Amino acid sequence: MNNYVNQLIEGKIDFEGQKKVEEIVRNTLIGTTVVSFALGFVLQSLRVTFGTFGLSAVVLLLVAVPQWPMYNRNPVEWLPIKEAKESEKK
Amino acid sequence: MHTNYARISNISATLSSCMMALLAAIALSSFLFTADPKGDLHVASVQVVPGNARRYANKHQEFAFVNFNVTADLSPLFNWNTKQVFLYLGAEYTNKQGVVNEVVIWDKIVRNKEDARLDVSGRNKYVFRELSTSFNPPANYTLKYNVMPYVGVLTYGEAARTLEPVAFPQQHQL
Repeated sequence: MNNYVNQLIEGKIDFEGQKKVEEIVRNTLIGTTVVSFALGFVLQSLRVTFGTFGLSAVVLLLVAVPQWPMYNRNPVEWLPIKEAKESEKK
Repeated sequence: MHTNYARISNISATLSSCMMALLAAIALSSFLFTADPKGDLHVASVQVVPGNARRYANKHQEFAFVNFNVTADLSPLFNWNTKQVFLYLGAEYTNKQGVVNEVVIWDKIVRNKEDARLDVSGRNKYVFRELSTSFNPPANYTLKYNVMPYVGVLTYGEAARTLEPVAFPQQHQL
């Protein structure tokens, strides 16, 4: 139980997952900035701009931070344990 | 990006950079909105009253009371980045000693587009006092505004001016 909670708090994901998260975060933030500016400018309301920006930021945090299973689809293949050599065991 | 903490750290850093870029874009967008609204300013009456300086009871200074009417439509100044417009009525004159004075005698803060259609008759809010004894040459009254944005640079402008200088009534000798 303790181990499970620790793993959840740490939230480790594999390398392919990290690449995916990086991509998602970068694209979403740039896209959100542009879209919220454009929407606000057209509707002439700063409230619309910051509303959409804040909402997308919250959604992004929910999508990118927790350890979702889609980020753990390519676990690292560790090599099998090698027997220690007799000469190293002094 | 390997732990929750790393992801949160990365996201918040990129988010704040994006937020700064957004604010810069909003500040720059203010330059696209150019408006030069004009209005009418009419001074109904000026009364001059003798009095004394605040600190020296023997020093003679004069006080003026100005009644005016202002009509102006300042709604073109309001865009998405306008927080409020600060209006002020100033009296410009050069006194006998040759000193150029501009005295703000009334001001108003306008916070939204609906209140920007002005139709005010008032008198001076602030004390209009001539520090060097007496008012002599006539004064020009101007209505100026200062646009305060949410993000960006402050801009100033003049909305109305009295067409001819308004004279101060002369004091009759007692």
